Amino acid sequence: MNKFLAILYDSYLEIKDRKIFYLYLAVTLIMILIFSLLPGSLNINGEHIMDSGLIDQATIDRVVAGFFDQFFGFMIFIMVFGTAGLLPSYLSKGRVELVVSKPIERFRLILMKFISIYLVSCLILIVTTSLIWLAMSLRLGSITTNFFYGLLLALVQFFIVYAIIFILGLLFNSGAGAIIGYFILRVGSDLLSHREVVYDFLGESVWKFILDTAYNILPKLGEMSDNYNSLMRGRGLGDSYALWSSLLFGGTMILLGLIYFNRKDY
Amino acid sequence: MNSAISIRVDNLSKKFTGGLRNSGVQALAGVSFDVQRGEIFGLLGPNGAGKTTLVKILLGSLRPSSGTAFIDDREVSKAAARYRAGFLPENHRFPQYLTGFQMLRVFGGMTGMSGSQIKSRAGTLLELVGMSRWRNTRIKKYSKGMMQRLGLAQALINDPDIVFLDEPTDGVDPVGRREIRDILKNIKKQGRTVFLNSHLLSEVEATCDRVAVLDKGKLIKVGPASGLIGVKPTYNVAVVSLSDEVQSAVRQFDSEAGIDGDKISISMDKPARINDLIDLLRSHQVQIISVVPQKQSLEDSFMQLIQGERAGGQHE
Repeated sequence: MNKFLAILYDSYLEIKDRKIFYLYLAVTLIMILIFSLLPGSLNINGEHIMDSGLIDQATIDRVVAGFFDQFFGFMIFIMVFGTAGLLPSYLSKGRVELVVSKPIERFRLILMKFISIYLVSCLILIVTTSLIWLAMSLRLGSITTNFFYGLLLALVQFFIVYAIIFILGLLFNSGAGAIIGYFILRVGSDLLSHREVVYDFLGESVWKFILDTAYNILPKLGEMSDNYNSLMRGRGLGDSYALWSSLLFGGTMILLGLIYFNRKDY
Repeated sequence: MNSAISIRVDNLSKKFTGGLRNSGVQALAGVSFDVQRGEIFGLLGPNGAGKTTLVKILLGSLRPSSGTAFIDDREVSKAAARYRAGFLPENHRFPQYLTGFQMLRVFGGMTGMSGSQIKSRAGTLLELVGMSRWRNTRIKKYSKGMMQRLGLAQALINDPDIVFLDEPTDGVDPVGRREIRDILKNIKKQGRTVFLNSHLLSEVEATCDRVAVLDKGKLIKVGPASGLIGVKPTYNVAVVSLSDEVQSAVRQFDSEAGIDGDKISISMDKPARINDLIDLLRSHQVQIISVVPQKQSLEDSFMQLIQGERAGGQHE
């Protein structure tokens, strides 16, 4: 346990030291400020928005869901940049020799590093979005607890995203390489979700099979937006194929990363 | 395995595979030696000799192509082999966002130490390396010498039985070097084994009990550091003049004797033979001005050893 705590402590200090940490803080403060300074427009005819009878709880839920659907995506987008360089820096020449000289099996070492970065990132995501949700709820006068389902899904989505960043960081040993690789994969998977558009041109060719296979294998992060909306509006997860197939992809990436790191010479 | 042996390297080889057009590099070729418990063992060799590759294999950064190595009877590919080991790498890049104390906390924790154990040991070690004043200063503000001192404290944080030091005095001023040498001797007194990789021959000469010399991945020699120094004492004999006849007699006495004008330079296995040379010169009525013994430095021995080995290799 001491070994994991040491790695967690190191990850926390490194993330805290990065300039992007201030971006998380700034975004949170700005959003809280915006909601705090919202004018009395949340009153309708002198009555509070919820008492006016013009806007019901379902509408509020839809507004909150619509906002956080986008905001979770935005936070995860920032976190890609905030975390991509952490593993390559940990494995940089002059540091990795010291790290792997410690009495920890390689697969455990890299798994603990992955978990520690993920946990610290989750803490940031939980604190920032919860504070914004609180400010929003107070302003609206309605606590929409469905937000927490959305938050949970965001943590799962970030797990998948970080699993991809993790393997790319290991392979390229570069934060920039991991970011570029991630966005190429992301764009590719988003394009594949619209592959039906080109089916007419492909006919029954082997290309159709290839596109379908690629779509099924690759993560479907863009399609998870529907799951956010559905969850935060109290309608359950909806179609879960995008979620579990993406989770499977993330898990496979972690496994491949462990095998790769276990065999690599530094 | 013998418990008196701290490190055993057994027929270790490492070949770095190249690309399609490159056949690769043989960094180590069948290296074998033992390091006794409680000794300071030095690893010498020119650049590219395979020293760092060897240290990296011992500490788990690299996998050997063939052969094995053991630390405290444990095979080095197992993490458990490094439980009682400390390491200061060459050209290290310590995390700049940490303070001196935080670094000891992180790397001490990674060896399994608890927070309270680290706290008490870190204080002692920072005092030992003269870094107490900077314990809460970020590493990015440290000089190279300060980082080496902190690195040494880091290598000792888990109270190791074996300490691997790769160029420990790199970037340290002469006073600091002396202090680090004293620390090493102190570590040895505590019964710990020190594995020192250094290109500074004087440092190895002053510190090590035994030395291994590597060149092009091969072990050329392993033995006491003093054994490399002055194995063949050299004497410079200055005379008034040397006739052709005397020069011929001296060459008959020792075919490898160097004669330069009125000076004879001669190396001999038995120091007593200098008397025979003096007798020979006197029998030819040669006036001797001085006989000066030359202590062969480790550097000279090292160069001779490397050049001799390379010449031998070319003849093969």
